[in-house]
Amino acid sequence: MNKIFLVIQREYATRVRKVSFWVLTILVPILIAALYSVPIILATRPLEHAHVLVVDDTGIFQHQFRSSRDITYHDAGSLEYAKRQLAEVDSMDAIVYIPARETTIPTDAFLYYRTDAPSMTVQGNVDSQLQEILRNRILLDVHGISADDYQLLTSTRIQLRTKDIETGRDGFLGIKVAVGLILGLLVFIAIISFGSQVMRGVMEEKGSRIVEIIVCSVKPFQLMMGKVVGIGLVGLTQFALWILLSGIAVGALQATHSDLFSQAQPEQITQIATKGSDATAQMEAAMQATPVPELMQGLASIDFGVLLAAFLFYFVFGYLLYATLFAAVGALVDTETDSQQFTLPLTVPLILVVLLLPAMINQPSGSLSVWLSMIPFTSPAAMLLRIPFGVPVWQVVLSALLLLATFPLCIWLAARIYRSGILRYGQKTTWRDILRFF
Amino acid sequence: MLHIDHITKHYGDYLALDDISLHVRRGTLFGLLGPNGAGKSTLIRIVNHIIAPDSGSLLFDGRPMRQDDVMQIGYLPEERGLYKKMRVGEQCIYLARLKGLSKEDATRKLHQWFERLDIDSWWNRRVEELSKGMQQKVQFVVTVLHEPQLLILDEPFSGFDPVNQDLLKQEILRLKAQGTTVIISTHNMPSAEELCDDIALINQARVVLHGPLADIKAAHAAAPLDRIFIETVT
Repeated sequence: MNKIFLVIQREYATRVRKVSFWVLTILVPILIAALYSVPIILATRPLEHAHVLVVDDTGIFQHQFRSSRDITYHDAGSLEYAKRQLAEVDSMDAIVYIPARETTIPTDAFLYYRTDAPSMTVQGNVDSQLQEILRNRILLDVHGISADDYQLLTSTRIQLRTKDIETGRDGFLGIKVAVGLILGLLVFIAIISFGSQVMRGVMEEKGSRIVEIIVCSVKPFQLMMGKVVGIGLVGLTQFALWILLSGIAVGALQATHSDLFSQAQPEQITQIATKGSDATAQMEAAMQATPVPELMQGLASIDFGVLLAAFLFYFVFGYLLYATLFAAVGALVDTETDSQQFTLPLTVPLILVVLLLPAMINQPSGSLSVWLSMIPFTSPAAMLLRIPFGVPVWQVVLSALLLLATFPLCIWLAARIYRSGILRYGQKTTWRDILRFF
Repeated sequence: MLHIDHITKHYGDYLALDDISLHVRRGTLFGLLGPNGAGKSTLIRIVNHIIAPDSGSLLFDGRPMRQDDVMQIGYLPEERGLYKKMRVGEQCIYLARLKGLSKEDATRKLHQWFERLDIDSWWNRRVEELSKGMQQKVQFVVTVLHEPQLLILDEPFSGFDPVNQDLLKQEILRLKAQGTTVIISTHNMPSAEELCDDIALINQARVVLHGPLADIKAAHAAAPLDRIFIETVT
């Protein structure tokens, strides 16, 4: 047993000391921090305030454009005057010109600019205000509905929430889909990538012939398991560092930009909303504020302790299941290209889960999802996908037991193939050869 | 020291070893000779418990050989290799610890050997930076470091220049003088003739000659060993 520990130690140490390990370990938290800081950058970027001159020949839009934080609208009277302003005053960026036509309802408008085209924000704002003002005008003139009434009509939004009838808790399905997808894919990628590291390690030992010396000192089984466990520990180390470093990075971002991360309180939103008269502000506040607390509440509704435990369990045993088989494949082949005929059938179950993800997400408790989360070769990815939605305890237990029960069988199978395979040099192994190992 | 008793081994339908019986005397240098594919490497792997024979048995020190006895063997395979990315010293310590040495013992003995072979400066170099001959030297040290009672060297001289071949011979003879039993498998007949006390010639999975080198030479009118080899095999 002491020797298997030596093997584990070597496998672990040689990998953890590699530059590539640390590059990946640091890169992922940086990526997460970058994603996290996108809203900060958007919120703190220097504002490029735009000044837009409004020339309205129809009389509908006069004084109707509302300036905002980013754009100030100036009524310019005549187009001639506006053009002069645009040419002479540096701060002026564009002219909105609405010409009078024969029809009472105008059908076109122009946005003039000098050298630099107005930003998408300005164009979008002008466009939406044009539509809005015109619509308000029609509603008011034809139907007698005031602008405020109209805003109230359009800004009301009824939110459909899924709720558990027993616990009364919100369902937050969208967030659960996202969390389930991320976990399922992560475990899939982790198993494949660390499993193929095991395969390459075995191939290296076989290719360099060092295996012949080592199997005089340790049993092939010890060598195989030492490698599998050592690389598995490298994987766990990487996950732990990712979580730790991402936590530190995100924490640091939150600490330095605390104002941006303070969640808008629901009361504040309602206060703004009930103030009422400025309907646009009300709508804007609602639009900006609601997604954040909803996301936070959704995330809070997920038990991350359970998720982490489930992830660890399914990663560890899913990895052990696959990594031993990957080791067997590595023992059978001399080159990476030869390995494909064996790795393909090995990865089919995992790829199947990925292909069936949309169907499973549609019905996380449907029979397809349940079956896939029971079969040991698909259960790591499939069960992790389901966990955020809540899975009956007996199903989790059964799935875990099935995985645990398959694991010794796989090791036995892999050890047989491995033992016979590592000392075969220069011969192509076929499926028929493998049968003969037993 | 080592009795090989009626060992037979098949690979599928192919007969690799056919009822092989040999005796390696303690403290002698035993030459295991034979053409390519005769079954020498298979026999060596069986002695090392890397593969199991179909039938037959091994006696080590006069008693049935156990898996543990492999720790008393130093084995230099014909196809040699080391972890290419690992540093020389670290790798040697790892392999020595797998043979049961403590880290401290391994480090001390390695430095002694490295100094004697004048390769101590390689300690922190990666194996891939060494030439093939240099790697062979390192591998020889790894093979003998745990002071095995039985040394099995499969083609030990291949890949060495004449100077290093001679150096290796001196080291082998030195170990023999210290009481180590040595089995050498080689195609290098002059070296075998120079070093071996006893030889066995294996051809097509069977032992065709076995005994003290002096007796065999006497029976063949003192012909050179390569002549005897060719006459017996063809």
